[in-house]
Amino acid sequence: MEHSVMVAAAMIGVGIIMGLAAVGAALGDALVTSKFIEGLTRQPEAKNALFTNTLISVGLIEAMCIIATVIALIILYANPLIK
Amino acid sequence: MHEIGVRETVQFAGLTFNWETLVMTWISMAIVLFIAILATRNLKMVPTGAQNIVEGLIVWLREQTLTSLGPKGEFLCPLIVTLFLFLIVANWLGLVPTMASPTNDLNTTLGLALFIIVMVHTLGVYMKGMHYIKHFFQPFPIFVIINVIEEIAKPITLAFRLFGNILAGEILIIILLMLAKWAILPSVAWLAFSLFIGGVQAFIFTSLSLAYLANAVKDSEE
Repeated sequence: MEHSVMVAAAMIGVGIIMGLAAVGAALGDALVTSKFIEGLTRQPEAKNALFTNTLISVGLIEAMCIIATVIALIILYANPLIK
Repeated sequence: MHEIGVRETVQFAGLTFNWETLVMTWISMAIVLFIAILATRNLKMVPTGAQNIVEGLIVWLREQTLTSLGPKGEFLCPLIVTLFLFLIVANWLGLVPTMASPTNDLNTTLGLALFIIVMVHTLGVYMKGMHYIKHFFQPFPIFVIINVIEEIAKPITLAFRLFGNILAGEILIIILLMLAKWAILPSVAWLAFSLFIGGVQAFIFTSLSLAYLANAVKDSEE
């Protein structure tokens, strides 16, 4: 009985984590990319410098969401509380 | 990692090692050495073939290093090029069918991140002396708390960013193969995306290392 409650709770937890992580990643990347395109329209010659910084920013933003994903995977597959 | 979350370990001299991570690290090292030997075999004045590709990479990374660290930072170019080559080979190794990335283990990424951060502080004290330690206390002495927390967060985020990206990519490859054996399109799309992510993460690790090193090496224009 307790085991199935723990498994169900783990599933719900994983769903909430992944949902919020996905929303966070999408919003963050959207902000950065919209500013990138705006800067590109003002000055098309700056494409390389702007693009490099955009990729760096996307990587940094996604780091938080990836950490959330790893925690979700740990809860799902390598959960220390579920025997 | 055929079963998710299970790693085969090996005991040696009282310490536990992940056998798969060790073997994959050695394979990555061998591939990087092979690329270097392949590029420098018949050196020509006007480069062609493998020498051209590796020279392009070195020119690009050297420009990044000199921009971030100033002219005094040229001695760090070999480190940055090696770091980038090792990371990109390590990230892409996991996409080959029976191999795994050495960077899907927190030990590898944390080792690299700690190595960079220890180098940052050592170089800072070596090249700038007392001025480096004094700058933790500026503009007000109370800021030392924030600066110390930032210095602790740097290796942790550096390690976890790379580890999380590569591990999540590999687990998703396993899951996609479990879920959709007959439909190859999701797996192919995810493979292409993983190539992109592997390259970008290697570049981000290198760029952030350069940014942290610039703190220690670059002369601040007053």
